[in-house]
Amino acid sequence: MNRRNALRKTALMAGTAMAAPSLFSLLQSCKQQNRLDWKPLFLSEEQARFVSAFVDTILPRTDTPGALDVKTDIFLDLIFAKTYDAKGQEYVASEIDKFNADIKAGFGKVFADLGTDDKKAVLRKAEAETAKFNPKVWGTAVGKQEPVGFYRSLKSMALWGYFSSEEIGKNHLNYDPIPGEYRGCIPLSEVGNTWSL
Amino acid sequence: MANFNIDAKKDMTYDAIVIGSGISGGWAAKELCENGLKTLVLERGRLVEHVKDYPTMMDDPWDTELRGSLTPELKEKHVVGMRSGFIGMDTEHFHANDQENPYTEIKPFMWVRAHQMGGRSILWGKQCYRFSDLDFEANAKDGYGVDWPIRYKDIAPWYTHVEKFAGISGEAMGLPHLPDSHFLPPMELNCVEKHVKSRIEKEFQGRHMIIGRVAHLTEPLNGRGVCQYRNRCSRGCPYGAYFSSNAVTLPAANATGNLTIRPYSIVQSIIYDEQKGKATGVRIIDSETSEVVEYYARIIFCNASTLSTTQILLNSVSDRFPNGLGNDSGELGHNLMDHTYRVGAMGIVDGFENEYYKGRRPNGIYIPRYVNLDEKSKTDKFVRGFGYQGSGGRAGWGAGSNIEDFGGDFKDSLMKPGPWEFFITGFAECLPYHENHVYLDKNNLDKWGQPTLAIDCEFKENEKAMNRQIRIDAKEMLERAGLKDIVDFDNEHEPGYGIHEMGTARMGRDPKTSVLNATNQVHSCKNVFVTDGACMTSSSCVNPSLTYMAITARAANHAVSELKKNNL
Repeated sequence: MNRRNALRKTALMAGTAMAAPSLFSLLQSCKQQNRLDWKPLFLSEEQARFVSAFVDTILPRTDTPGALDVKTDIFLDLIFAKTYDAKGQEYVASEIDKFNADIKAGFGKVFADLGTDDKKAVLRKAEAETAKFNPKVWGTAVGKQEPVGFYRSLKSMALWGYFSSEEIGKNHLNYDPIPGEYRGCIPLSEVGNTWSL
Repeated sequence: MANFNIDAKKDMTYDAIVIGSGISGGWAAKELCENGLKTLVLERGRLVEHVKDYPTMMDDPWDTELRGSLTPELKEKHVVGMRSGFIGMDTEHFHANDQENPYTEIKPFMWVRAHQMGGRSILWGKQCYRFSDLDFEANAKDGYGVDWPIRYKDIAPWYTHVEKFAGISGEAMGLPHLPDSHFLPPMELNCVEKHVKSRIEKEFQGRHMIIGRVAHLTEPLNGRGVCQYRNRCSRGCPYGAYFSSNAVTLPAANATGNLTIRPYSIVQSIIYDEQKGKATGVRIIDSETSEVVEYYARIIFCNASTLSTTQILLNSVSDRFPNGLGNDSGELGHNLMDHTYRVGAMGIVDGFENEYYKGRRPNGIYIPRYVNLDEKSKTDKFVRGFGYQGSGGRAGWGAGSNIEDFGGDFKDSLMKPGPWEFFITGFAECLPYHENHVYLDKNNLDKWGQPTLAIDCEFKENEKAMNRQIRIDAKEMLERAGLKDIVDFDNEHEPGYGIHEMGTARMGRDPKTSVLNATNQVHSCKNVFVTDGACMTSSSCVNPSLTYMAITARAANHAVSELKKNNL
């Protein structure tokens, strides 16, 4: 399925389930708009608000920190700024803009300004409609990888940014930089969470 | 290692010159130095001192700004190496600059290079398997290529010799077609690997699944520490637990007082003396100053890596050798081989939810070759055979990308290990085809004005037939071992991907059809030895580096004995 159509469909279907946004709710959303408390290196302020809202919806705070607590959004902006070439940056910017434009067409506001339930509805739809990553062997995907689309790419990056952060890697996953031994079969209860490295 | 004489210009004459300091060059240096020869090692890249020059060895992901990602500039610098999937910020500094070292792919060929002291011995996969007579007799039996001039009995003591010093961990199996090494204790299989092993061995008579045989210390050896199971090997090991030239052979060579290493030395050619009828030295270009310098020695060992060694020989022209040193046969540059790779299957193993493991083992499982061993296992679909490497482990948080979920519970569930996954991928022998070759491209010069290499190589029907079988068998093994959600795959790739380039200056019995004799001497210029991958007459299906080590030690000791007899 064409990625762009898929996203458009997502937004439109979600939109029809709602009443058309009233002028009042539009005004409300303007008032609720938070300005960023960090300065993006690459993303526009609107794009950065999208990334913040996205990673917060994927990985919200629970008993453990959320993506925003470990600055996953700021890290992804850094990655876009310093590791993407011009073409890659253009792709990211245009995909975010498209995502937001489609949502705006359905909801009358951009992703970051949606309520929690609407954000989840939008992402649930994208989740169901986006291709998946092929499994990897030694860092390389096996078989022919179909384009996974922007949603899953960004979700994957959010996971990377979150779980490779020092706070999560050291204090929430099992951090063991120098195991000193290999034991091939131990009770999971001895370890608890997954190894961080 | 404090005793480098970097200012080697003050002394231009040595007993021996070794071109290259990777796996085979390090061994040549050690053996020659320990036999009392003043030895000059020429390295085209920079010095890399063990531990001191491993800047990323202790880094956690969050210790670097981009957590291992490369900038666009670095991706461009490593445009070839990036295809391997193995380059990150943690190892980038050990990979060659592809922009400064161009070559031409007549057909796609990934040529991964590492231009520094130690070469690819810093980065290698460390899997170590002996060749057997099944390999040494293969060409003679099925008629592809020429006969190896040696047999297993010729090299077996040299395998033992290098294994005792390098340190190879593994399990003795007594398989005639995969001879046991002199082993340190094996690493352990994890619960699921043990489970799959027992199922496969029960379901398929004659197939074995063993722990990989690897150049990692599981017991202390000569002052080197044991593996700490960090699996950060390719950044350089602070404990010296895996074999590299930097940690093992070059320090031993240096300890003799006979070693000189000259970095930034691109060997332009070997100097041939028409009167004496032998080589007298080498001509280098200093990569930093572009100065041309000549060094002289009684013997020369070529260990620049398969294709670079052949490039040097092709570029060493004289009246006697207008087509490259030792190229009377016309075979220099021909019969290039690699292993096919990344064809296999993977799947999920149910159960074992309450089991886990500790440590990041830099090793996996190995399924030794089981086809075309004898009449009973013979197939008419292809000649030669293949083995599998693989491993099992529990999925981590990365699996979350594909899980159709997000949110708080999703996040917290990813803190726990996921299902057990298991994969195997085949490595198939590649036949020596005359038409798979390299040649000097005099129209494309590098930044030092030297002709670059053009590579014209492809896998053919026998390799493709083996890949088909690898895929079918992999799927069948995982199915009958009870795995679910099995995905079988063939990531069709160009040669070079295995990073096991072999051939192009092969050993042989007949000077008319080969470049080197049974002791790795150029047939027609006996004081030049080639003991890196270029010397290989066939490729077997096992990883070749251990064989380079053994062949090098054998040839170096032969060289010393010939020198003593004044035969060189």
